Amino acid sequence: MPPRAELLPGTLDLLILKAVSLGPLHGYGVLLRIEQITDGALLVEQGALYPALFRLEHKGWLSSEWGVSDNNRRAKFYQLTAAGRRQLKSEAEGWQRLVDAMASALGARREEA
Amino acid sequence: MWARLRSRARALLGRRRFEDDLADELAFHLQARTDHWIAQGMNRSEAARRARLEFGSPDKHAEACRESRGLRLVDELAADLRYGLRQLRRAPAFTLVATLTLALAIGANAAIFSLVDAVLIKTLPVAEPQQLRQLSWVAARNDTTSLWNGIWYNGNSTLRGPSELAGTSFSYLTCDAIRRNTISFSNVLCLGHIEQVNLSVGGRAMLGRGQLVSGNFFRGLPLGVHIGRPIGPDDDRTGQAPVAVLGYGFWERALGGDAGVLGRSLTVNGVAVTIVGVAARGFTGLQPGEVTDVFLPLVPLQPAFYSEPDMLASQRYWNWLVVGRLKAGAEPEHARQESQQLLRQELRARPTSATPLDMPRLEIAEFDHGFDRLRESFGKPLRVLGLIVGAVLLIACANIAGLLLTRASARQREFATRLSLGAGRGRLVRQVLTESALLVGLGGAVGLALAFALRHALPAALNESPDPLMLDMSADVWLIVYSGAICAFTALACGVLPALRAPRVGLRPAIARAASANTTAAPRFWTGKALVAVQVTISLLLLVGAGLFVRTLSNLRGEALGFRADHLLLFEMNGTLNGYKDDRLQRLYDEVYAGVAAIPGVTSASVSRWGLLSGNATSDGVTVPGKKDAIHTAVHNVFPGYFKTMGVALLLGRDIGDTDTATAPLVAVVNRSLTVKAFGAEPAVGRTLQLGDKTVTIVGLAADVRFDDIRAQPQPTIYIPFRQHGQHVATFALRTAANPADLIPVVEKAVARIAPEVPPYNVRTQEQQIEDAVRRERLFASLVSGFAVVGALLACLGIYGTLAYSVARRTSEIGLRVALGARSASVVWLILRESVWPVVAGLVAGLAGALALTRLIESMLFGLTPQDPITYGIAAALLLASAIVAAWIPSRRAAQLDPMTVLRCE
Repeated sequence: MPPRAELLPGTLDLLILKAVSLGPLHGYGVLLRIEQITDGALLVEQGALYPALFRLEHKGWLSSEWGVSDNNRRAKFYQLTAAGRRQLKSEAEGWQRLVDAMASALGARREEA
Repeated sequence: MWARLRSRARALLGRRRFEDDLADELAFHLQARTDHWIAQGMNRSEAARRARLEFGSPDKHAEACRESRGLRLVDELAADLRYGLRQLRRAPAFTLVATLTLALAIGANAAIFSLVDAVLIKTLPVAEPQQLRQLSWVAARNDTTSLWNGIWYNGNSTLRGPSELAGTSFSYLTCDAIRRNTISFSNVLCLGHIEQVNLSVGGRAMLGRGQLVSGNFFRGLPLGVHIGRPIGPDDDRTGQAPVAVLGYGFWERALGGDAGVLGRSLTVNGVAVTIVGVAARGFTGLQPGEVTDVFLPLVPLQPAFYSEPDMLASQRYWNWLVVGRLKAGAEPEHARQESQQLLRQELRARPTSATPLDMPRLEIAEFDHGFDRLRESFGKPLRVLGLIVGAVLLIACANIAGLLLTRASARQREFATRLSLGAGRGRLVRQVLTESALLVGLGGAVGLALAFALRHALPAALNESPDPLMLDMSADVWLIVYSGAICAFTALACGVLPALRAPRVGLRPAIARAASANTTAAPRFWTGKALVAVQVTISLLLLVGAGLFVRTLSNLRGEALGFRADHLLLFEMNGTLNGYKDDRLQRLYDEVYAGVAAIPGVTSASVSRWGLLSGNATSDGVTVPGKKDAIHTAVHNVFPGYFKTMGVALLLGRDIGDTDTATAPLVAVVNRSLTVKAFGAEPAVGRTLQLGDKTVTIVGLAADVRFDDIRAQPQPTIYIPFRQHGQHVATFALRTAANPADLIPVVEKAVARIAPEVPPYNVRTQEQQIEDAVRRERLFASLVSGFAVVGALLACLGIYGTLAYSVARRTSEIGLRVALGARSASVVWLILRESVWPVVAGLVAGLAGALALTRLIESMLFGLTPQDPITYGIAAALLLASAIVAAWIPSRRAAQLDPMTVLRCE
């Protein structure tokens, strides 16, 4: 298992949107999906996931409905709305710009400056 | 945005469901995680423990979830409200006083605003009323008499400065020319005045209001119909079968809202017309405050309104009002120039015998409020009323703020405790604001309910004319927005000071001090004193205003009228509405005159065109033969016995007598003012005067009388025999031996026996007439006095509250002083002195403010100046005296403190 990194503030929302964009999930499923798509590199505090889910639903980016989990329990499933999809796209692009800029800044060498 | 509102609303409305779901969701997570660890080989209890550890506190996360939905604010608000309500319940006296104060202030403001709304803001209920314009003319006024020579003018005309005259009536030809040739207007309406008409439907006769309208009236306004069809251009032609569209109110009131009236016949001033429609609901006519009962096509029904035969074909009759609807995008100025050109062309094409108005200039005015008579006469009083209720609101705010401030200071220990238990300061501010908002909510609800319940009484109170004032008092968006804004302002004004003060509690000292009952130097409490000063200032303003209005009313009532107003009964009749004319009309009035004069208990009777102090008079130019200048004179058509009946002194010569018939030589009685103007000191009796084209011989000289208006000085007046100069309407006056009101049924029966189809109207005593004439002064005197008394009481309450608090705070200090031998007088002074400066400062500011503000009401006063020293003196003295009483009570209580008890409490 690679060493785990703390989440940067604001990245949890993006991760959740990304996780849910791959298909409807319940809260615990979101946690598993994030672990899976990050190869377990990022540490998500489990309880903090729910306020974030509620916040995203409040903003209209996620919708939810009650369904039945794999092992036949009642669970609340989240799914991306159209507005959520747009938000994911723009946040991902913003994130990419930041990563590129940071990478370029950190890769800079003396002569280029 | 919507998603958030929806989500919050769902969370709020289904609160139980929300909580259940939240708990289920978190439980599911823990369960799933436990399963995960079991699958990894842990035993059940260890797995569950591990899952809980990883998850953290479910309560904390649940709270964070609620916060995500915006529920935390709501929860805290609910807690604040519950707490606030408990606080208010615990101090019922405070709550009651505060609620009543706020109810009065907010209710009064909402009520006055509802009037402002109805009179000044609401527009005609037609599409795009701002596109409507009314035309008026302005002409040079070289000489009033020659200006009108040969012109039959009906309508308003007002002096514009020293040399111009303005009016709104035009000849039909002018209106027609503008209507046919206009480019800027999509429609030009030609309208008659709203006139009194005699309506009869299904055998029932009643007096109503009718208006002649051109055929494009409904299309041009535009105005729809509730049922039936509107009047159209085809109805407005000569020889067309006359039709009518009823006003919605009349249809409902007089015909019970029966849809079967369509096609039925209605008699208007004796002419049968067919009802074809009922105008749209909500449309009461073009004159706000008056209801038009029936709309009639102009051309076919003009003879039922006016007897002049060639009224529509001659440039002589200036009777019609012109209203146009501008085409979209049309410039008003273009419309004006175009109409002016059309008017001048028309005047040039058909010159009348005497050149009328020397080529008038046209003006164009907005018409979105309809005819603006109401705005003119109500604008000023409404502004003054607005200021007064605004002042009441300010006093109320200052008062409640003061009371809350005192309470906040008294609650310092509570606040300190809450702070030390971890409440945020912002939370405390919110708590205090919530409490003041709660108070304002209570007071506002009571006040608005009162204003709503009384809304129909308001127009009547402000009305000056004998006809009821029909205003649209329904609530509209403006009223709702205004009421909300007033409540929000009040809540802030009352709450901000105490709220900001509340958390300014030093933690340890406050608890320590509270525990030891305030021994150390107390804060000076400047804010409280400043609030007292504000209340005193505004109270004084109101008291001065009240004094000025009360003295105005008493001046008016004490005014020498020149006649005896007691024991007089008046009523009016208009026989022309039933087709009486000329000799027949004169005979009708003669018979009624003889009939009522013979009633036992009537000592004398007479008839005149206008009653005295009715607000109306007819004026004309009177010239002395051989002189050029006309004297502007009130012309009064009277029956014999007029001077005796009205109690007017006849100084010289004789009364108009039974011998002065239509065929006898023309005679007149003049009053002193006219004699002085016409002949100076020379005797007038026996000389002649030129009145229009008639020469009259003066047979008597009468004393001056307040004629149409109590407030106006007597003007030159000429009395001429009614029988020699017939009039349409007659006002009968009966002098009675006993209470004139008792005779009303007898008189009505006597009139009904003589002329069953002509109803007497405006039956009232002369004293009632005068009370009606000073109704507005009475309203202002009583309203402002009432508000001033309440304001002064509140100010005293404020002074009392501040000092009582101060005494409570300084109890131990006082006890110590008394124990050390201070005399009770010096203790009283110690406390009393605290209130001296705020009261004196308030009085000075109030006097200065009154000097500045009362100039606004100068035109509403009578017989005194706005700087009347007596009024100012009395108002200041009254307020000072009440302030001293209010301050005395707590001071006295301080002096009576028993030092032993006080010191033992330490």
